[in-house]
Amino acid sequence: MSVFYEKFERHAGGEGLKSHATHYCPGCGHGLVHKYLAEAIEELGIQDRTVAISPVGCSVFLYYYLDVGNSQAAHGRAPAVALGHKYANPDSIVISYQGDGDLASIGLAEIVSAAQLGTPITVIFVNNAIYGMTGGQMAPTTLIGQKSATSPEGRTALMGQPMKMAELIAGLDGPVYVERVALFDAKQRMKAKKAVLKAVRLQVENRGLAFVEVLAECPTHLGMTPEETEAWVKEKMLPVFPLGVKKDVVPEPWFHREKPRFDAESLVAAIGATAERPPRFATGFPAHLGGTDIALKLAGAGGDGAQTAAMLLTRAAIHEGYDATHIPSYGPESRGGTSYADVHVSADEVLSPASPHPAILVAFNAPSLAKFAPDVPAGGTILYDSSVVKDPPPFRAGVRVFGVPFTEIAVDLGKAMVKNIVALGALQAATKLFPEETLRTAIRLALKDKCALIPLNEEAFSWGMRAVTPAPN
Amino acid sequence: MPTALRERPKPFLLPEFCKGCGRCIDACAKDCIGPGREIDPRTGLVPVTLNLEACNGCGLCFDACPEPYGLRPQPEGDFELQDPEKLFGERAAPPRPAPIPPRAIPLPPVAPLVLKGNYAAAIGALLAGCRHVFGYPITPSTEGAELMAKLLPKLDGIFLQAVSEVATVNMMYGCGGAGLPCMTFTSSPGFSLMLEGISYMIGAEVPGVFVNVMRGGPGLGNIAPEQADVKLVCRGLGHGNTQAIVLAPSTPQEMLDLTRLAFELSFRYRNPVVVVADGYLGQMTGKVVLPATMMEPGLPDWAVFGDGAHRGNLINSIYLDEKDLENHNARLNEKYRRMEAEERSDAFSCSDATTLVVAFGTPARMAKGAVEALRREGVRVGLFRPLTLWPFPIAALKSFLPNAKRILVVEASNGQLEDELRLALSKAGVAPPLIESVRHAGGILPQAAEIAAAIRASQEVLA
Repeated sequence: MSVFYEKFERHAGGEGLKSHATHYCPGCGHGLVHKYLAEAIEELGIQDRTVAISPVGCSVFLYYYLDVGNSQAAHGRAPAVALGHKYANPDSIVISYQGDGDLASIGLAEIVSAAQLGTPITVIFVNNAIYGMTGGQMAPTTLIGQKSATSPEGRTALMGQPMKMAELIAGLDGPVYVERVALFDAKQRMKAKKAVLKAVRLQVENRGLAFVEVLAECPTHLGMTPEETEAWVKEKMLPVFPLGVKKDVVPEPWFHREKPRFDAESLVAAIGATAERPPRFATGFPAHLGGTDIALKLAGAGGDGAQTAAMLLTRAAIHEGYDATHIPSYGPESRGGTSYADVHVSADEVLSPASPHPAILVAFNAPSLAKFAPDVPAGGTILYDSSVVKDPPPFRAGVRVFGVPFTEIAVDLGKAMVKNIVALGALQAATKLFPEETLRTAIRLALKDKCALIPLNEEAFSWGMRAVTPAPN
Repeated sequence: MPTALRERPKPFLLPEFCKGCGRCIDACAKDCIGPGREIDPRTGLVPVTLNLEACNGCGLCFDACPEPYGLRPQPEGDFELQDPEKLFGERAAPPRPAPIPPRAIPLPPVAPLVLKGNYAAAIGALLAGCRHVFGYPITPSTEGAELMAKLLPKLDGIFLQAVSEVATVNMMYGCGGAGLPCMTFTSSPGFSLMLEGISYMIGAEVPGVFVNVMRGGPGLGNIAPEQADVKLVCRGLGHGNTQAIVLAPSTPQEMLDLTRLAFELSFRYRNPVVVVADGYLGQMTGKVVLPATMMEPGLPDWAVFGDGAHRGNLINSIYLDEKDLENHNARLNEKYRRMEAEERSDAFSCSDATTLVVAFGTPARMAKGAVEALRREGVRVGLFRPLTLWPFPIAALKSFLPNAKRILVVEASNGQLEDELRLALSKAGVAPPLIESVRHAGGILPQAAEIAAAIRASQEVLA
């Protein structure tokens, strides 16, 4: 019995009799389950590795007794806490110990999802058909007809049927072993003890998640003697909660995790950082576009590639040593909705990253052009897809406008999706935002893992550049 | 040779540890155990009586007794002669683990990265040594989880998608309780769901980092940027006496830097740390320079790691005794006071400013544009940007107040930042100057032009 603390220091400060007695009422089943758990931990030699998760309910003070690592969880959340411990230290043996209110009511989502996940933890579920700690209210496992503080005339079907957790959990793919046991006689206790041992062993052997439901006695809230309660469990609970193995598919050991890596090389490689700086081509900030901060807007429908083009502009600017930002804005649809991108390129620091009055607007469709063209101030530049905008709106005086058939050029090249690169070529020719090689390099770098696409994109860029002829204003 | 039945140990019982439930009476086939008749004055209960003449040492009574120190095998020898201290067996002293400190590892110099705010925060977490990320997808924070799901397997870490935000925060309670750095990405409605767990983490002193990329509310609201969780993160982290350091980045670079810092603070104070961004900042791409080092986490002495050294530890927020709980709260209050040393802010052109703009997050960036434009016109305006919303950087702000005739609070909420400001001024005993505001809700951010107009208007009144 070395897995119990020598003295229950946490039980009322370990004073007097409480130093060696549990807080449970006479005849309560929890003490037995604690004992079987302690014996299993001892037999398997895993006391140091064990972390017990105490629930909320009568067994909230599990940590008073078991001399293992202890963590006390919020109501119903023990399986989630258990998973946190298990992934923090895959060598630890984590026991999620829960009562019926905790597991079968408030914590249903946590237990069902943890069970289906199947990560090896051991779940001990003590079902005594009543809320103990709060004072005898109806539990999810309270029987039909059973009186409780919140079903004073007996539970009716209108209050829901008793929740059969072992069957529910056994119906999932995740767990490897599910059994329901009881405590009401020596034979049942022997089976319970074995089931608890097996459930812990399956975790020790990295074979999977095991779930043991224990039908337990609560003489206090059933208003019976301990002996009568044992009989009640046998006669009343068993027909609703049949005992036995509900699932047993013991697989080969499978759970294994490497230790997390903390070497700089792995991290730098994972995030794709590189010591190599892209070449610079610019000799100075493109002041000819006005000031030290250039606002751009690229607007179209989802799938037009506005965001990709915006990202390429942002990267190109940062490669050149400027500051740049890109903010996307999407409609709620995943595809086909609106898709706008605000880009700023600044000599020093981008201060306001939004582009309510863009110096450069690239519009991929008519609604975008109609919406944003009026925001472009005099001296600004508008490029739009003349393949789809056949009837452009009137433009503000002093704005340079270029209608370029982005889509037609892209389709002629064999891939409509490169229309955003055509647009970037056109933007290059129309604005000389950066030296030509700056954007070409950004495009090549973006495609470094898809080299086969580089020639097509290069060509799209070139055709976009060639297509720009100043349109009448 | 199996042990002969008669050689097996017989039961013995200290009556004060028997609650008289009688389970053992049925268990004994030899009728050695009977119901007691006398109340034990020490317990007020009636222990069973043993008559072991017929006992064959079958041991079934041990398995029937629910009390750890109830019916037990008779110890070797005559137990009455034993030292009562040794009666329950000898134990080794509880292990006393030494804390293992985190270790800084130099990073090779690399070119600046071009990253979305959410990605930058994720990389900040990786640099801080976080290899455990739990989460539930919610716009506009999802890129953080997505990047973690992609990168962590390469580092033998884990991204675990939980069934809900409720499960997420409890996985963090477990992982943080085991002493390891962990985090989540979420957005306002998801953050609401995490509050229960955050209260438990604070109560049990469990570290963990929450990046809340705030969106429009209340309710389902929308997915556009808002800053309306300030009240929640500064004043409402679940039930009870809770407080956490709240960091407020406004660029992708700060998303990385402050998320990284969040881990350090979280372990320094054994407390969750919240990073509040807005939907714009999470989605915004910008230039990000990596720091010179990354961290390998250590293991604190208090961790429930699941090994021998840490076996004696407990993660727990229950203090049944009122006095104990009051003392626990006093310790937390003392810790909250120490956290006030973490006040951080950024001041831009504040020293001679007659108008101070106070803003954080993306609105602060918009405001900076307005401030710079007005400075070029000779307007004496500055931007004071709290990098910690809690503790509010009141000491730094106070130093600019002698010149400031007016504060303009710019925020994407209904005045929640202004409430924090007013509270901080009031607690510091500072008579506030005139406070005006530019506020938007619903996902509309105050724009530079609007902020500039508000500053101009106030300057004209001042003139």
